[in-house]
Amino acid sequence: VNRKVLLAGLAVALPIVGLLLISLGRDPHRMDSPLVGRAAPAFLLRPAGGGEAVSLASLKGRPVVVNFWATWCVPCHEEHPVLTAGARLYPDVAFLGIVYQDEEPIVLDYLRERGGGYPSLLDDGGKTAIAYGVYGVPETFFIAPDGSIVEKYTGPLGADALRNLVQKARAGSPVRRGAL
Amino acid sequence: VKGRRRSIAPARRTFSAPAFALSSLAALSLGALVLGAPAAFAQASPDPSEQPVDLARVASVVGAARGPRLAGDGLEAEAKRIASLLRCPVCQGLSVADSPATMATNMRQQVRDMVAAGFVEEQVLAYFEASYGEFVRLRPPLRGVNWLVWLAPLVGLLAGGAIVYLVLRGPSAAASPEATRAAAASATAAEPARDPLPEDPELARLVLRVRELAYGWPGGVRPQPKGQA
Repeated sequence: VNRKVLLAGLAVALPIVGLLLISLGRDPHRMDSPLVGRAAPAFLLRPAGGGEAVSLASLKGRPVVVNFWATWCVPCHEEHPVLTAGARLYPDVAFLGIVYQDEEPIVLDYLRERGGGYPSLLDDGGKTAIAYGVYGVPETFFIAPDGSIVEKYTGPLGADALRNLVQKARAGSPVRRGAL
Repeated sequence: VKGRRRSIAPARRTFSAPAFALSSLAALSLGALVLGAPAAFAQASPDPSEQPVDLARVASVVGAARGPRLAGDGLEAEAKRIASLLRCPVCQGLSVADSPATMATNMRQQVRDMVAAGFVEEQVLAYFEASYGEFVRLRPPLRGVNWLVWLAPLVGLLAGGAIVYLVLRGPSAAASPEATRAAAASATAAEPARDPLPEDPELARLVLRVRELAYGWPGGVRPQPKGQA
Protein backbone atom coordinates (compact mmCIF):
# COMPACT_ATOMS: atom_id res chain seq x y z
CA VAL A 1 0.00 0.00 0.00
CA ASN A 2 1.15 3.51 -0.82
CA ARG A 3 2.63 5.05 2.32
CA LYS A 4 1.25 8.48 1.53
CA VAL A 5 -2.28 7.11 1.21
CA LEU A 6 -1.88 5.25 4.49
CA LEU A 7 -0.65 8.39 6.30
CA ALA A 8 -3.44 10.51 4.85
CA GLY A 9 -5.98 7.91 5.92
CA LEU A 10 -4.56 7.83 9.44
CA ALA A 11 -4.57 11.63 9.63
CA VAL A 12 -8.27 11.60 8.87
CA ALA A 13 -9.25 8.55 10.90
CA LEU A 14 -7.23 9.03 14.10
CA PRO A 15 -8.89 12.25 15.31
CA ILE A 16 -12.31 10.71 14.71
CA VAL A 17 -11.40 7.54 16.60
CA GLY A 18 -9.92 9.68 19.37
CA LEU A 19 -13.13 11.70 19.71
CA LEU A 20 -15.16 8.50 19.81
CA LEU A 21 -12.94 7.04 22.53
CA ILE A 22 -13.21 10.20 24.66
CA SER A 23 -16.97 10.35 24.22
CA LEU A 24 -17.49 6.65 24.97
CA GLY A 25 -16.93 7.29 28.67
CA ARG A 26 -19.56 10.00 28.81
CA ASP A 27 -23.24 9.68 29.55
CA PRO A 28 -24.98 11.05 26.45
CA HIS A 29 -28.04 11.96 28.51
CA ARG A 30 -26.09 14.09 30.93
CA MET A 31 -26.54 17.68 29.89
CA ASP A 32 -24.82 20.37 31.88
CA SER A 33 -27.44 22.88 32.89
CA PRO A 34 -26.44 26.52 32.50
CA LEU A 35 -28.78 27.25 35.42
CA VAL A 36 -26.59 25.59 38.04
CA GLY A 37 -25.14 28.32 40.24
CA ARG A 38 -27.74 30.83 39.07
CA ALA A 39 -31.02 32.00 40.57
CA ALA A 40 -33.79 29.46 40.07
CA PRO A 41 -36.47 30.73 37.66
CA ALA A 42 -39.43 32.01 39.64
CA PHE A 43 -42.84 30.40 39.28
CA LEU A 44 -46.34 30.73 40.64
CA LEU A 45 -48.32 27.56 39.93
CA ARG A 46 -51.62 26.05 41.00
CA PRO A 47 -51.40 22.65 42.70
CA ALA A 48 -53.27 19.67 41.25
CA GLY A 49 -56.54 19.19 43.10
CA GLY A 50 -56.94 22.88 43.84
CA GLY A 51 -55.69 25.12 46.59
CA GLU A 52 -53.57 28.22 46.78
CA ALA A 53 -50.99 28.78 44.06
CA VAL A 54 -47.44 28.09 45.20
CA SER A 55 -44.58 30.42 44.37
CA LEU A 56 -40.91 29.65 44.64
CA ALA A 57 -40.37 33.09 46.18
CA SER A 58 -42.56 32.13 49.15
CA LEU A 59 -40.10 29.33 49.99
CA LYS A 60 -37.02 31.54 50.19
CA GLY A 61 -34.96 30.71 53.23
CA ARG A 62 -35.59 26.98 52.90
CA PRO A 63 -33.86 24.47 50.68
CA VAL A 64 -36.21 23.39 47.89
CA VAL A 65 -36.38 20.21 45.82
CA VAL A 66 -38.25 20.72 42.55
CA ASN A 67 -39.08 17.49 40.75
CA PHE A 68 -40.44 17.52 37.18
CA TRP A 69 -42.46 14.36 36.64
CA ALA A 70 -45.40 12.78 34.84
CA THR A 71 -47.64 9.78 35.40
CA TRP A 72 -46.70 8.39 31.97
CA CYS A 73 -43.01 8.40 32.86
CA VAL A 74 -41.88 4.96 34.01
CA PRO A 75 -38.69 6.01 35.84
CA CYS A 76 -40.83 8.52 37.77
CA HIS A 77 -42.79 5.60 39.28
CA GLU A 78 -39.53 4.23 40.58
CA GLU A 79 -38.56 7.59 42.00
CA HIS A 80 -41.92 8.48 43.56
CA PRO A 81 -41.51 6.55 46.85
CA VAL A 82 -37.97 7.95 47.27
CA LEU A 83 -39.30 11.50 47.04
CA THR A 84 -42.32 11.00 49.28
CA ALA A 85 -40.07 9.35 51.87
CA GLY A 86 -37.63 12.24 51.46
CA ALA A 87 -40.35 14.78 52.13
CA ARG A 88 -41.07 12.99 55.44
CA LEU A 89 -37.38 12.48 56.32
CA TYR A 90 -36.32 16.07 55.63
CA PRO A 91 -39.11 18.29 56.96
CA ASP A 92 -36.88 21.39 56.74
CA VAL A 93 -36.74 20.96 52.95
CA ALA A 94 -39.66 22.04 50.74
CA PHE A 95 -40.51 19.35 48.18
CA LEU A 96 -42.44 20.37 45.08
CA GLY A 97 -43.52 18.31 42.12
CA ILE A 98 -44.13 20.03 38.80
CA VAL A 99 -46.27 18.01 36.45
CA TYR A 100 -44.84 17.79 32.95
CA GLN A 101 -47.23 17.34 30.03
CA ASP A 102 -49.90 15.46 31.91
CA GLU A 103 -53.54 15.88 32.87
CA GLU A 104 -54.85 16.87 36.27
CA PRO A 105 -57.41 14.02 36.79
CA ILE A 106 -54.80 11.40 35.92
CA VAL A 107 -52.29 13.05 38.25
CA LEU A 108 -54.85 13.11 41.10
CA ASP A 109 -55.69 9.43 40.56
CA TYR A 110 -52.01 8.59 40.61
CA LEU A 111 -51.39 10.52 43.83
CA ARG A 112 -54.45 8.96 45.52
CA GLU A 113 -53.17 5.52 44.62
CA ARG A 114 -49.49 5.96 45.45
CA GLY A 115 -49.59 8.73 48.04
CA GLY A 116 -48.33 12.26 47.76
CA GLY A 117 -47.15 14.21 50.74
CA TYR A 118 -46.14 17.39 48.95
CA PRO A 119 -47.80 19.59 46.33
CA SER A 120 -47.69 18.68 42.66
CA LEU A 121 -48.04 21.85 40.61
CA LEU A 122 -49.64 22.15 37.19
CA ASP A 123 -47.49 23.75 34.52
CA ASP A 124 -49.85 24.87 31.79
CA GLY A 125 -48.09 25.48 28.51
CA GLY A 126 -44.89 23.99 29.91
CA LYS A 127 -43.71 27.48 30.81
CA THR A 128 -41.86 26.48 33.96
CA ALA A 129 -40.37 23.34 32.39
CA ILE A 130 -38.96 25.45 29.56
CA ALA A 131 -37.66 28.09 31.98
CA TYR A 132 -35.82 25.31 33.84
CA GLY A 133 -34.48 23.84 30.61
CA VAL A 134 -36.17 20.49 31.14
CA TYR A 135 -35.41 17.95 28.42
CA GLY A 136 -37.49 15.12 29.82
CA VAL A 137 -38.75 13.60 33.02
CA PRO A 138 -37.72 12.93 35.67
CA GLU A 139 -35.45 15.89 36.28
CA THR A 140 -34.89 17.28 39.75
CA PHE A 141 -33.51 20.67 40.76
CA PHE A 142 -31.96 21.30 44.16
CA ILE A 143 -32.31 24.89 45.27
CA ALA A 144 -30.39 26.48 48.12
CA PRO A 145 -32.11 28.64 50.78
CA ASP A 146 -30.87 31.75 48.90
CA GLY A 147 -32.82 30.66 45.81
CA SER A 148 -29.89 29.56 43.65
CA ILE A 149 -29.80 26.22 41.87
CA VAL A 150 -27.20 23.96 43.41
CA GLU A 151 -27.63 20.91 41.22
CA LYS A 152 -29.73 19.44 38.46
CA TYR A 153 -30.26 15.69 38.59
CA THR A 154 -31.40 13.89 35.46
CA GLY A 155 -33.12 10.52 35.83
CA PRO A 156 -34.73 8.77 38.77
CA LEU A 157 -33.27 9.69 42.16
CA GLY A 158 -32.17 7.02 44.57
CA ALA A 159 -32.34 7.50 48.33
CA ASP A 160 -28.56 8.05 48.61
CA ALA A 161 -28.39 10.62 45.83
CA LEU A 162 -31.36 12.41 47.35
CA ARG A 163 -29.73 12.54 50.78
CA ASN A 164 -26.44 13.86 49.35
CA LEU A 165 -28.10 16.48 47.22
CA VAL A 166 -30.45 17.64 49.98
CA GLN A 167 -27.31 18.09 52.07
CA LYS A 168 -25.75 20.21 49.31
CA ALA A 169 -28.92 22.25 48.94
CA ARG A 170 -28.89 22.99 52.66
CA ALA A 171 -25.23 23.99 52.49
CA GLY A 172 -25.92 26.04 49.40
CA SER A 173 -22.65 25.21 47.65
CA PRO A 174 -22.69 24.06 44.03
CA VAL A 175 -21.80 20.39 43.58
CA ARG A 176 -18.85 19.62 41.38
CA ARG A 177 -19.78 17.36 38.49
CA GLY A 178 -18.86 13.73 39.00
CA ALA A 179 -18.95 14.04 42.78
CA LEU A 180 -21.91 11.68 42.99
CA VAL B 1 -60.56 85.63 63.55
CA LYS B 2 -58.54 82.69 64.79
CA GLY B 3 -61.70 80.63 65.07
CA ARG B 4 -62.63 81.36 61.47
CA ARG B 5 -59.24 80.44 60.24
CA ARG B 6 -59.54 77.16 62.06
CA SER B 7 -62.91 76.50 60.52
CA ILE B 8 -61.64 77.36 57.07
CA ALA B 9 -58.65 75.14 57.27
CA PRO B 10 -60.58 71.88 57.75
CA ALA B 11 -62.92 72.94 54.97
CA ARG B 12 -59.92 73.27 52.67
CA ARG B 13 -58.75 69.84 53.69
CA THR B 14 -62.10 68.27 52.92
CA PHE B 15 -61.97 70.01 49.58
CA SER B 16 -58.45 68.84 48.93
CA ALA B 17 -59.25 65.13 49.32
CA PRO B 18 -61.39 64.80 46.19
CA ALA B 19 -59.03 67.20 44.42
CA PHE B 20 -56.14 64.93 45.30
CA ALA B 21 -58.08 61.93 44.08
CA LEU B 22 -58.92 63.72 40.83
CA SER B 23 -55.40 64.92 40.22
CA SER B 24 -53.90 61.53 40.99
CA LEU B 25 -56.38 59.92 38.61
CA ALA B 26 -55.35 62.39 35.96
CA ALA B 27 -51.69 61.70 36.70
CA LEU B 28 -52.30 57.97 36.46
CA SER B 29 -54.06 58.20 33.11
CA LEU B 30 -51.37 60.58 31.87
CA GLY B 31 -48.75 58.10 33.07
CA ALA B 32 -50.52 55.32 31.23
CA LEU B 33 -50.55 57.46 28.09
CA VAL B 34 -46.87 58.32 28.44
CA LEU B 35 -45.92 54.71 29.13
CA GLY B 36 -48.09 53.82 26.16
CA ALA B 37 -47.93 50.31 24.86
CA PRO B 38 -46.32 48.53 27.87
CA ALA B 39 -49.06 49.77 30.17
CA ALA B 40 -51.72 48.79 27.64
CA PHE B 41 -50.14 45.35 27.46
CA ALA B 42 -50.20 44.99 31.23
CA GLN B 43 -53.86 45.89 31.24
CA ALA B 44 -54.69 43.44 28.46
CA SER B 45 -53.11 40.59 30.42
CA PRO B 46 -53.63 41.22 34.11
CA ASP B 47 -52.35 37.80 35.20
CA PRO B 48 -48.85 37.05 33.90
CA SER B 49 -49.21 33.42 34.99
CA GLU B 50 -51.83 32.98 32.26
CA GLN B 51 -49.38 33.98 29.53
CA PRO B 52 -47.40 31.37 27.56
CA VAL B 53 -44.24 33.13 28.68
CA ASP B 54 -43.54 35.50 31.53
CA LEU B 55 -42.34 38.57 29.60
CA ALA B 56 -41.08 40.24 32.77
CA ARG B 57 -38.83 37.23 33.35
CA VAL B 58 -37.68 37.31 29.72
CA ALA B 59 -36.74 40.97 30.18
CA SER B 60 -34.89 40.16 33.41
CA VAL B 61 -32.83 37.53 31.54
CA VAL B 62 -32.13 39.29 28.22
CA GLY B 63 -32.91 42.95 28.93
CA ALA B 64 -35.68 45.15 27.61
CA ALA B 65 -37.10 44.41 24.16
CA ARG B 66 -34.86 45.99 21.53
CA GLY B 67 -37.10 45.78 18.49
CA PRO B 68 -40.49 46.99 17.33
CA ARG B 69 -43.62 45.18 18.45
CA LEU B 70 -44.92 42.96 15.67
CA ALA B 71 -48.38 41.78 14.70
CA GLY B 72 -50.11 40.04 11.83
CA ASP B 73 -48.17 38.41 8.99
CA GLY B 74 -44.91 40.08 9.98
CA LEU B 75 -45.17 38.54 13.44
CA GLU B 76 -45.93 35.05 12.10
CA ALA B 77 -43.06 35.17 9.60
CA GLU B 78 -40.51 36.45 12.14
CA ALA B 79 -41.67 33.99 14.82
CA LYS B 80 -41.33 31.11 12.36
CA ARG B 81 -37.91 32.28 11.25
CA ILE B 82 -36.62 32.48 14.83
CA ALA B 83 -38.24 29.16 15.79
CA SER B 84 -36.34 27.55 12.92
CA LEU B 85 -33.08 28.65 14.59
CA LEU B 86 -33.97 26.87 17.84
CA ARG B 87 -33.37 23.20 18.46
CA CYS B 88 -36.33 21.23 19.79
CA PRO B 89 -34.86 19.83 23.03
CA VAL B 90 -36.87 16.61 22.96
CA CYS B 91 -36.32 15.80 19.27
CA GLN B 92 -33.47 14.43 17.22
CA GLY B 93 -32.06 17.25 15.14
CA LEU B 94 -35.36 19.05 14.51
CA SER B 95 -35.95 22.74 14.88
CA VAL B 96 -38.73 24.10 17.05
CA ALA B 97 -40.43 25.32 13.87
CA ASP B 98 -40.45 21.83 12.33
CA SER B 99 -41.28 19.64 15.32
CA PRO B 100 -44.78 18.46 16.20
CA ALA B 101 -43.76 17.73 19.83
CA THR B 102 -45.72 19.37 22.64
CA MET B 103 -42.63 21.07 23.98
CA ALA B 104 -41.84 22.52 20.55
CA THR B 105 -45.43 23.74 20.27
CA ASN B 106 -45.07 25.45 23.64
CA MET B 107 -41.74 26.97 22.66
CA ARG B 108 -43.20 28.24 19.37
CA GLN B 109 -45.95 29.94 21.35
CA GLN B 110 -43.34 31.54 23.62
CA VAL B 111 -41.25 32.71 20.66
CA ARG B 112 -44.36 34.24 19.11
CA ASP B 113 -45.19 36.08 22.33
CA MET B 114 -41.66 37.42 22.70
CA VAL B 115 -41.51 38.57 19.08
CA ALA B 116 -44.91 40.23 19.46
CA ALA B 117 -43.55 42.10 22.48
CA GLY B 118 -40.59 43.36 20.48
CA PHE B 119 -37.79 41.00 21.52
CA VAL B 120 -35.33 40.52 18.67
CA GLU B 121 -33.80 37.28 17.37
CA GLU B 122 -30.69 37.43 19.54
CA GLN B 123 -32.76 38.09 22.67
CA VAL B 124 -35.14 35.21 22.00
CA LEU B 125 -32.24 32.82 21.34
CA ALA B 126 -30.41 34.08 24.44
CA TYR B 127 -33.51 33.53 26.59
CA PHE B 128 -33.72 29.85 25.65
CA GLU B 129 -29.95 29.51 25.85
CA ALA B 130 -30.10 30.66 29.48
CA SER B 131 -32.24 27.60 30.24
CA TYR B 132 -30.95 24.97 27.83
CA GLY B 133 -27.41 26.05 27.06
CA GLU B 134 -25.85 26.70 23.70
CA PHE B 135 -27.16 23.34 22.49
CA VAL B 136 -30.54 24.95 21.89
CA ARG B 137 -29.12 27.10 19.11
CA LEU B 138 -29.15 25.25 15.80
CA ARG B 139 -26.55 27.66 14.43
CA PRO B 140 -23.61 27.73 16.85
CA PRO B 141 -22.59 31.34 17.60
CA LEU B 142 -19.12 32.43 16.54
CA ARG B 143 -17.23 32.15 19.80
CA GLY B 144 -14.66 29.92 21.43
CA VAL B 145 -14.31 26.41 20.07
CA ASN B 146 -17.27 27.02 17.72
CA TRP B 147 -14.90 28.76 15.31
CA LEU B 148 -13.68 25.27 14.48
CA VAL B 149 -17.16 24.26 13.34
CA TRP B 150 -17.36 27.22 10.98
CA LEU B 151 -13.78 27.26 9.77
CA ALA B 152 -13.01 23.52 9.47
CA PRO B 153 -15.15 23.02 6.32
CA LEU B 154 -13.59 26.09 4.72
CA VAL B 155 -10.08 24.92 5.60
CA GLY B 156 -10.93 21.44 4.32
CA LEU B 157 -12.27 22.85 1.07
CA LEU B 158 -9.18 25.00 0.54
CA ALA B 159 -6.83 22.12 1.39
CA GLY B 160 -8.75 19.78 -0.92
CA GLY B 161 -8.68 22.38 -3.69
CA ALA B 162 -4.95 22.81 -3.21
CA ILE B 163 -4.38 19.05 -3.44
CA VAL B 164 -6.53 18.75 -6.56
CA TYR B 165 -4.70 21.69 -8.14
CA LEU B 166 -1.28 20.21 -7.40
CA VAL B 167 -2.28 16.79 -8.74
CA LEU B 168 -3.86 18.20 -11.89
CA ARG B 169 -0.93 20.49 -12.62
CA GLY B 170 1.04 17.30 -12.24
CA PRO B 171 4.61 16.69 -13.31
CA SER B 172 4.28 18.47 -16.71
CA ALA B 173 4.55 22.02 -15.36
CA ALA B 174 6.01 21.38 -11.94
CA ALA B 175 8.91 19.10 -12.75
CA SER B 176 12.02 19.57 -14.87
CA PRO B 177 12.13 18.25 -18.48
CA GLU B 178 14.27 15.28 -17.39
CA ALA B 179 11.81 14.30 -14.71
CA THR B 180 9.00 14.65 -17.24
CA ARG B 181 10.82 12.38 -19.67
CA ALA B 182 11.54 9.88 -16.91
CA ALA B 183 7.91 9.92 -15.87
CA ALA B 184 6.82 9.45 -19.47
CA ALA B 185 9.28 6.58 -19.85
CA SER B 186 8.07 4.86 -16.73
CA ALA B 187 4.49 5.38 -17.87
CA THR B 188 5.33 3.85 -21.23
CA ALA B 189 7.05 0.98 -19.51
CA ALA B 190 3.90 0.23 -17.60
CA GLU B 191 1.81 0.29 -20.74
CA PRO B 192 0.31 -3.01 -21.85
CA ALA B 193 1.51 -2.23 -25.39
CA ARG B 194 4.99 -3.37 -24.19
CA ASP B 195 3.67 -6.77 -23.24
CA PRO B 196 4.45 -9.41 -25.88
CA LEU B 197 1.67 -10.19 -28.31
CA PRO B 198 0.52 -13.77 -28.85
CA GLU B 199 2.04 -15.74 -31.76
CA ASP B 200 -1.27 -16.26 -33.55
CA PRO B 201 -1.76 -13.18 -35.81
CA GLU B 202 -5.53 -13.37 -35.50
CA LEU B 203 -5.31 -13.43 -31.70
CA ALA B 204 -2.68 -10.64 -31.71
CA ARG B 205 -4.99 -8.47 -33.84
CA LEU B 206 -7.78 -9.02 -31.31
CA VAL B 207 -5.51 -8.22 -28.35
CA LEU B 208 -4.45 -4.95 -30.03
CA ARG B 209 -8.07 -4.10 -30.70
CA VAL B 210 -8.95 -4.75 -27.04
CA ARG B 211 -6.00 -2.59 -25.92
CA GLU B 212 -7.16 0.17 -28.24
CA LEU B 213 -10.66 -0.02 -26.83
CA ALA B 214 -9.41 -0.15 -23.28
CA TYR B 215 -6.81 2.64 -23.47
CA GLY B 216 -8.16 4.80 -26.28
CA TRP B 217 -4.84 4.86 -28.18
CA PRO B 218 -4.38 3.17 -31.54
CA GLY B 219 -2.97 -0.31 -30.85
CA GLY B 220 -2.92 0.58 -27.13
CA VAL B 221 0.27 2.64 -27.60
CA ARG B 222 0.46 6.07 -25.98
CA PRO B 223 1.10 8.70 -28.67
CA GLN B 224 4.43 10.52 -28.17
CA PRO B 225 3.96 14.06 -26.84
CA LYS B 226 5.00 16.79 -29.27
CA GLY B 227 8.64 17.82 -29.15
CA GLN B 228 9.75 14.51 -27.69
CA ALA B 229 11.59 11.80 -29.49
